[in-house]
Amino acid sequence: MLRLLPNSRILSKAIPPVNISYKARECASKAAETVEVFVDDKPVQVQPGSTVLQACAQAGVEIPRFCYHERLSIAGNCRMCLVEVERSPKPVASCAMPVMKGMKIKTDSPITKKAREGVMEFLLVNHPLDCPICDQGGECDLQDQSMNFGSDKSRFTDNQFLGKRAVEDKDIGPLVKTIMTRCIQCTRCVRFANEIAGVSDLGTTGRGNDLQIGTYVEKMFKSELSGNVIDICPVGALTSKPYAFVARPWELRRVDSIDTMDAVGSNIVVCTRGGDIMRILPRIHEGINEEWLADKSRFSYDGLKRQRLTSPMIKDESGNLISVDWETALLRVCDAITSVKGAEIAAIAGGQVDAEALIAMKDLLNKLGSESLNTEEIFPMDGSGTDLRSNYLLNSSIEGIEESDAILLIGCNPRYEAPLLNARIRKAFIHNEIEVGYLGPKIDLSYNYQHLGDTTTSLENIKSSQFYKEHLSKAKKPMIILGSSALQRADGTAVFAKTQQISNELKEAGSSWRVLNVLQRVASQVAALDIGYRPGVENVRNNKPKVLFLLHADNETVRREDLGKDCVVIYQGSHGDQGALMADIVLPGAAYTEKEGTYVNTEGRAQRTLVAVNPPGLARNDWRITRALSEMIGQPLSYDNTNEIRDRLAEMSPNLVKFDTVEEANYFKQSEELFKDIKEKIKQDSFSLPMIQLKDYFMTDPITRASPTMAQCVKANNKEA
Amino acid sequence: MASLKVVNFLQVLSQRSLIRSFHASNQHFVDIIHRPVTLSGDKNKITINNTEDISVISGVPEEHIKERRVRIFVPPKNAMQSGTHGSKTWRLEFDTRERWENPLMGWSSTGDPLSNTHVEFSSKEDAAAFCEKNGWKYQIDERNWLQTRPKSYGANFSWNKRTRIGSK
Amino acid sequence: MASLGKAGGLVRILTGSLPKSSPVLTSVRFNQTDAKKEKTTFGNLKDEDRIFTNLYGRHDWRLKGAKSRGDWYKTREIMDKGIEWIQKEITTSGLRGRGGAGFPTGMKWSFMNRPDDGRPKYLVVNADEGEPGTCKDREIMRHDPHKLIEGCLIAGKAMGARAAYIYIRGEFYYEASNMNAAIKEAYDAGLIGKNACNSGYDFDVYMHRGAGAYICGEETALIESLEGKQGKPRLKPPFPADVGVFGCPTTVNNVETIAVAPTICRRGGEWFAQFGRDRNRGTKLFNISGHVNNPCTVEEEMSVPLKDLIERHAGGVRGGWDNLLAIIPGGSSVPLLPKSICDDVLMDFDALVQAQSGLGTAAIIVMNKQADVVRCISRLIDFYKHESCGQCTPCREGVHWMKKMMTRFVTGNAKVEEIDMLWEISKQIEGHSICALGDGAAWPVQGLIRHFRPLLEQRFKDYEKSQELQQSAQTI
Repeated sequence: MLRLLPNSRILSKAIPPVNISYKARECASKAAETVEVFVDDKPVQVQPGSTVLQACAQAGVEIPRFCYHERLSIAGNCRMCLVEVERSPKPVASCAMPVMKGMKIKTDSPITKKAREGVMEFLLVNHPLDCPICDQGGECDLQDQSMNFGSDKSRFTDNQFLGKRAVEDKDIGPLVKTIMTRCIQCTRCVRFANEIAGVSDLGTTGRGNDLQIGTYVEKMFKSELSGNVIDICPVGALTSKPYAFVARPWELRRVDSIDTMDAVGSNIVVCTRGGDIMRILPRIHEGINEEWLADKSRFSYDGLKRQRLTSPMIKDESGNLISVDWETALLRVCDAITSVKGAEIAAIAGGQVDAEALIAMKDLLNKLGSESLNTEEIFPMDGSGTDLRSNYLLNSSIEGIEESDAILLIGCNPRYEAPLLNARIRKAFIHNEIEVGYLGPKIDLSYNYQHLGDTTTSLENIKSSQFYKEHLSKAKKPMIILGSSALQRADGTAVFAKTQQISNELKEAGSSWRVLNVLQRVASQVAALDIGYRPGVENVRNNKPKVLFLLHADNETVRREDLGKDCVVIYQGSHGDQGALMADIVLPGAAYTEKEGTYVNTEGRAQRTLVAVNPPGLARNDWRITRALSEMIGQPLSYDNTNEIRDRLAEMSPNLVKFDTVEEANYFKQSEELFKDIKEKIKQDSFSLPMIQLKDYFMTDPITRASPTMAQCVKANNKEA
Repeated sequence: MASLKVVNFLQVLSQRSLIRSFHASNQHFVDIIHRPVTLSGDKNKITINNTEDISVISGVPEEHIKERRVRIFVPPKNAMQSGTHGSKTWRLEFDTRERWENPLMGWSSTGDPLSNTHVEFSSKEDAAAFCEKNGWKYQIDERNWLQTRPKSYGANFSWNKRTRIGSK
Repeated sequence: MASLGKAGGLVRILTGSLPKSSPVLTSVRFNQTDAKKEKTTFGNLKDEDRIFTNLYGRHDWRLKGAKSRGDWYKTREIMDKGIEWIQKEITTSGLRGRGGAGFPTGMKWSFMNRPDDGRPKYLVVNADEGEPGTCKDREIMRHDPHKLIEGCLIAGKAMGARAAYIYIRGEFYYEASNMNAAIKEAYDAGLIGKNACNSGYDFDVYMHRGAGAYICGEETALIESLEGKQGKPRLKPPFPADVGVFGCPTTVNNVETIAVAPTICRRGGEWFAQFGRDRNRGTKLFNISGHVNNPCTVEEEMSVPLKDLIERHAGGVRGGWDNLLAIIPGGSSVPLLPKSICDDVLMDFDALVQAQSGLGTAAIIVMNKQADVVRCISRLIDFYKHESCGQCTPCREGVHWMKKMMTRFVTGNAKVEEIDMLWEISKQIEGHSICALGDGAAWPVQGLIRHFRPLLEQRFKDYEKSQELQQSAQTI
């Protein structure tokens, strides 16, 4: 019969140390010489310079900790990780103590246990123990560790005389709720703010028992990564404001998915209860987002419940959209399509469309005889254009930033266009001492950079700049990141050609390192280009189609005025935003949390979302809508289920179904050849950026525009400024 | 070795045939994995074909075999906590489908037994073999996080590195 | 009592010659066989053997006065003898750190002799004298600042330091003024700075005033504070000798340790080593405060019996020796000693450790029988609670907890079991915190419980009785 496996059995199996990944392999070959230490008499070979805690982890022993976090600097102040080391008079803080040869670590000895129990008692003496009303309850390190390592009895008699310490709550903005009495002063949030976010807003004030975490003066924690302090807080001192008193972790169903708020493709966990998304958490992916998540990705989920299109709609005689059933709506679309020539149909894809919907739309339009498939985002099409994949990808990959030794940013603001990419640059800036040059309007990137000017002239004269001479040209692995907003310019081709020329000059002969990188801003762009969409809407404006499909396109790249009077606009998407406003027929589609869709991030890494909740009302998965429509038109598409459409994607471009792999694209030489014919000159002009300040960051797409939390963020930022 | 962990008991109870199928497959599974190579000539040993498909006899409805998408992965550590429990074994999960809010109490209902089930394996090969036998299409997500690189407390005070901490 | 070595030192002073290179030195170190004979009685230091000759400020503290007392005399020659010679003299002298922990100074300095890796080295002088009862460094700094500056130069030379930072306690305004004036004098006279004492060695001395935090007297917290950060101790390793101030190799020494170094070099390590017992050599400044007739700071030989020290220099305990209740022998951080132990304990590191206490800074706090020892300790815990930096859990939470309990113990509003609980809590703090402040807070409590448990129990009983009385009075 049924065999339920007790957890202990899973754990008792020897788990081999993980060294499957690229980095780990590299490390293993580099550091052949290892140090042998003994964890509970079990010999372990560890890299020299590791800490005792890391050695224990390698031996499969998990040391309890509060202040230690793998991605933050070591603080060593919680004292929870104390372990006994033979021939050491006192227990040592394993998180900070480097391993020494032959060290005998005892993680389960009476001294270790006593130390942990003592520290645990001290942590709890002033902790409010309000777990029943604490949002961290159920996933609280303090809770779990006091169960495991704490004492079984309480002796807080003094609390009857003088009570516990109470600390005033701080207001640090609309995203992070603080209940400072719960704080155990681990300073993880302080270190996160200073080291990862690069915003030294948080710090400690006071001494001894009055030590408090705070902003000193009441102010907002102004960072695009502020939500991460909620995750790293080991207790319930910093919790999510929108999630406050909403759900318990054990009620939640966790679905692994991909974020689509930017082109980074952060890995996320969508936590749902019933049919609602309760919160979004980051999911570790070393290659992309490590363990962090940007605020827009984390908090905009409430926009998925508002302004949603829940039923198909058609415009009646008076010009109002009225709800109808699917059949009526699709028949109306059918009529519109069949009454025009195939070439008079066009489609524009927005920033958050999955590859499945893109390919279904493309297949349908191709069947009907149209080639007019466009994306909202512009990319220069002259020269090699989008024919060569390396032209529009972040070729060196996000993880490659850590290998790079000098980075030049041109016309982009990675801090808000791709916050986690920026965090990666900051990481490299701090740990690898890289130099960063920047071309564009002066902005705060959270790290120091050499500002090389904000005009295109500076780009043309880049070689005479000090940064080029001293750092970029001398770098072994230089990186140039070209922002897609620089390519939206009228002279985008020339800017691209120039950048490519500079990059190719920097490239060492024979090296496989890729210098040129394009930073995309929207999640769907790379997949759209892979599938063969044409970037930009020039085509639509010039040809005035009779039927126009707007596939999640809400950024008003085409207005009603740009189209002919008789043009039928069909909007297919999730939100009643700009696209639906100008539509004659509205087909409700699914948002990224409601469908199993493929997204390719700016590195060219295909990843897929999974269904977390069902689309609301009559809304349906986008490619299935197109599939149904094709049936009605009488030109049925050849796929009926996800497996089949994935096969079609593979047929189109195999990389689209090779999930989580970055296919190398390396055609820079050829591309440069093709660009040689370009006669266009760079206009003397300054670079402009759509997002300069933090307040520009929050509302950029239909989901975030519908999100009350994001609106509050903008409001709070305006107030602060 | 394949082991079964069923999350939702109610679902389990209503799906006896499913459980039987998992259990039965376990038995075969063990044999396949531990088939002794040296005893291949032994006449008493029954060898089982690797490409065996039990989906015909497992009792799983056809639509749950042909259209299900199975994901094999290692659950990453919860971002909210530092513990790594539960992120050490390979897990098999089905795609989510057919969930709705129960009008009576507002609870979540489902008509799909499989998406509430997950099975844990000690290796991805085991999980893959299990899927193949049951006729499910699967996708393996490689583990994309790693052991940490050495860290040093002294780096906080380094005299010429940017790791130097300015404030706390 | 005194060995011949002392006479040798005296001769050297009178003739003004320095101990020469080591072969000569061995010949000068006459009667080595005699030196092996260990002394058995200690104390009553002769005037000619005092290092701090202007301890009471009766003479001019400025450069001129200092020179007349023998400071800055042939400093260059000492420096010319080289790093190894200075270190050898210090090692021979058996000098142990005067700041409390008693780490052998010669060994500490030798940690700095690592191959050069491009980082400058620094000497940091810990003048953040904040330990309750301790007031020796301030006497040196206001009355003998040149001893310290010269010590900085010699110690700096011995460890190849680029500069010395004197981290002075913020409240020491006059001391800082005198130090500043003395540093300027020394600079003007070319004794420090570029080509210090014409030795070709460049050495700067800076003074940094603290902002009034006891924890900044902990060496790593001092370093943090010196760097401009919050004075919160660092973990060790890395030790300051590896990663210290501004990330460079650093030695942190107490004022007294540095200030005695020139005299040791001038009179020889052997001279210094003739005082005190083995492993506890030298002379030492003792601060005697509390219930004595004549509280004072005095330089005495190490290993002097506690009773002798108090009787001879402090005019005895108020109400006579028999009126003595307890003594904290080494600044507030060490466990107190009841009279029974005080009767014959020697004032040195080993003897006091044996007596389950410590020499600490050698600040003797005397409590006679009119004192409420519980309240005294409670007051000390208040101090530690106030001065805990709050960085690490055991100290932040534990000391606060102890404070709450001690406050109740003073009135007696507690149960007998809580004494054991307090003991356990103090044990939970001790050895588990980042720095020694946690230990320092735990020890006084441990001392109290160890030696005065009956007193506590009695107090609790009395309190209970008084409460009962009160209640019965109310019911009537």
